[in-house]
Amino acid sequence: MVRGRWHTYRHGSSQKWRSQSRNFNVIILPPDPSHHKSILHTDRARFRSMAITFAGGVILGADSRTTTGAYIANRVTDKLTRVSDTIWCCRSGSAADTQAVADIVSYHLGMYATMEGKQPTVGVAAGLFQEICYANKEQLSAGIIIAGHHPSHGGSVYSIPLGGSLHRQSYAIGGSGSTYIYGYCDSYWKENMSEADGIGFVKGALREAIKWDGSSGGVIRMVVLTDKGAKRLLFLPDQGYEGPGDK
Amino acid sequence: MNHLPQAWGRPRNAILGAYNPSILQPSGPKAHTTSPIVTGTSVLAVKFKDGVVIAADNLASYGSLARFTDVKRLRTFNRRTVVGFGGDVSDMQYLDRLLLSLDIEENYGSSGHDLNALNLHTYLAKVMYKRRSDINPLWNQLLVAGLDGLDQPFLSSVDLLGTTFSSPTLATGFGAHLAQPLLRKVVDDEAKVGSVTREQATNAVRECMKVLFYRDARSLDKYSIAVITKDGVELKEDEELENQSWAFAEMIKGYGTQTV
Amino acid sequence: MTSIGTGYDLTNSTFSPDGRNFQVEYASKAVENGGTAIGIRCRNGVVLAVEKIITSKLLKSGGNKRIASIDRNFGMISSGLVPDGRHLVSRARDEAASWRTSYKCPIPSSSLAFRVGSYVQAYTLYSSVRPFGVTTILAGWDSETESRVDGQVGSGPKAALAGKTKGTKAGGPGLYMIEPSGLYWGYYGAATGKGRQTAKAELEKLDLPSGNLSLEQGVKEAARIIYAAHEDSKDKDFELEMSWVSSSDGPTQGRHEQVPKELLEQAETFAKRAMEGDDDEDTATGGGETMEL
Repeated sequence: MVRGRWHTYRHGSSQKWRSQSRNFNVIILPPDPSHHKSILHTDRARFRSMAITFAGGVILGADSRTTTGAYIANRVTDKLTRVSDTIWCCRSGSAADTQAVADIVSYHLGMYATMEGKQPTVGVAAGLFQEICYANKEQLSAGIIIAGHHPSHGGSVYSIPLGGSLHRQSYAIGGSGSTYIYGYCDSYWKENMSEADGIGFVKGALREAIKWDGSSGGVIRMVVLTDKGAKRLLFLPDQGYEGPGDK
Repeated sequence: MNHLPQAWGRPRNAILGAYNPSILQPSGPKAHTTSPIVTGTSVLAVKFKDGVVIAADNLASYGSLARFTDVKRLRTFNRRTVVGFGGDVSDMQYLDRLLLSLDIEENYGSSGHDLNALNLHTYLAKVMYKRRSDINPLWNQLLVAGLDGLDQPFLSSVDLLGTTFSSPTLATGFGAHLAQPLLRKVVDDEAKVGSVTREQATNAVRECMKVLFYRDARSLDKYSIAVITKDGVELKEDEELENQSWAFAEMIKGYGTQTV
Repeated sequence: MTSIGTGYDLTNSTFSPDGRNFQVEYASKAVENGGTAIGIRCRNGVVLAVEKIITSKLLKSGGNKRIASIDRNFGMISSGLVPDGRHLVSRARDEAASWRTSYKCPIPSSSLAFRVGSYVQAYTLYSSVRPFGVTTILAGWDSETESRVDGQVGSGPKAALAGKTKGTKAGGPGLYMIEPSGLYWGYYGAATGKGRQTAKAELEKLDLPSGNLSLEQGVKEAARIIYAAHEDSKDKDFELEMSWVSSSDGPTQGRHEQVPKELLEQAETFAKRAMEGDDDEDTATGGGETMEL
């Protein structure tokens, strides 16, 4: 299905001297009567994904199942997306929408880093995500968790649910059926955990989700973001989700 | 109008039948502006002789899911006015950013005058009405609490249609049904505002927050409360309900004649 | 001026054979006659001060402010053509607002200086415009506390910042001076306008890079330096205008504000006393006159 042309509009005044990249473009998707959600969103990630803060930064985690109705379209999906070196996001909702949004944010963060000569804060990334999700709320079906590490601000986690609001959280869980693990997370959550405990918490929550939710399954992927950068972890069902870890 | 944010601004079913949102975009996808997603419930406020008390709980619901429990829905403006937001949280955040830029621009003036609560309410009412006229409403009900140009207590509301209403006591959402009658017992007439003390007003609001927690299924026992006087804004954002009454549950046995 | 009559100074954006843009240099001349303006970067904030020459007895005292606020946390003062300075203030405000719409946070002082600097520089490139006749001092405080996204709800972890890299510091004071060419540097102490030589000499004595000077001391020193610099145009009346921006836990809570009347008066008393002291010294040593060539 072909979607309408992506429109851009300009922030900022149209004054004569536009000497730098101040004119920040936000992509606005035009309402397009020809695009119909039920057809477009065949590839839907209805899964649990989450992000937590811990003593050293943040950990993102997700299962790997993507379904089209009851059919598992992809059993080894990577739902953890890099938007800058140490800012990552978990996408849920329409795969196409969230990929497009992540690509736009990734571009802007890259631009920020080159123009300003320093890494953007996680808040800047979250703000960019929010603007796109809020301004296009009629067209988008995207729930996004943003987590990252910044040298002078440490780790932080933000959640942007469907309507495009932005919520700073200690930990965030997302995906249409994340209700399955609210109880687990609320009971076992501790602030300022060690890395090992943090990984255990994320893994425990995702294992519950995989166990009870038909739309979740496959492997568990994690990304640990600290001042040492990004580290990927993988846990396989046939190893009882014990390994291989970061091998 | 129904107290649920999802039903705001719609004709009553009893008159026109159930509302079908698809008429807004016959062939398009579901339009999210016609249904808020993450919502806050009631906001309450009462005038007293020196100012206004305003309160709202710290919950942002996702349907019936109590999803975000630390959402502060009372936002201060210019250190002298408080706006309480009910309804969609993303639209609340938009308005918060709008008020931030307004505040910054207002402070550029060197005249020494700044916007009071009445001015702010007028501004917000026009923003809300403009958006409803564009058929793109901001899905909120707001209470604006502070002082007017004569330093008299000011309290007024605006909703997603741009409708404004003033009264010595105001409540949005479920509060309009449950809290408003209770608050009117404290002060039912503008002329009586002068005889209401700060303690009376605060206690009445706290009591109503308790009733709402008992009876509003989208409420939380953690809330924010602000008192606005000419000395400024006193905002407490991490209050918890006290002295709740549950012990009588022990006396309730069965549903009729049962005694054990 | 050797350039006069050569023809290379008649339009902006025209180089002379030895690589100079004379229009920009003439713009700097406009600055040299402006009231002295200074900025001091202190340990916990920045002070701006300006010598406002009273051009008419009909002007209201304390009115017609020259130091402007940009966003919440910046102050800006220009020396030279006052309307040119106002235009730059307007541009800086637009830049700050534009940054906020894009990134939902206040613009860092380095970025604001870059943008205003680039704007000024653009006015040296075209024959249809003239350069700005001002040198601008920009003072700000970048929040050192946790960054908040505008409109944010929720507060995140209650514990200390999770995994903050040791030894890194967020935010702090910023002080920049932008010249008519668009050239700008960050400074510990900046001075421009008629009395800049005296002011710079005084600023250098303060040992600002050590970071020992507190904001309150900075206010007093700023007043004293403006009074000292006023010696160069002693025949004219002037008024002292000062503003400051402190750290979040300081007196202005990270905002740019006019220095309160009481403190301003104290600083002026201090400055006047210091001037009297100087006079005594001068008579004793029989020198101290600053010569400008």
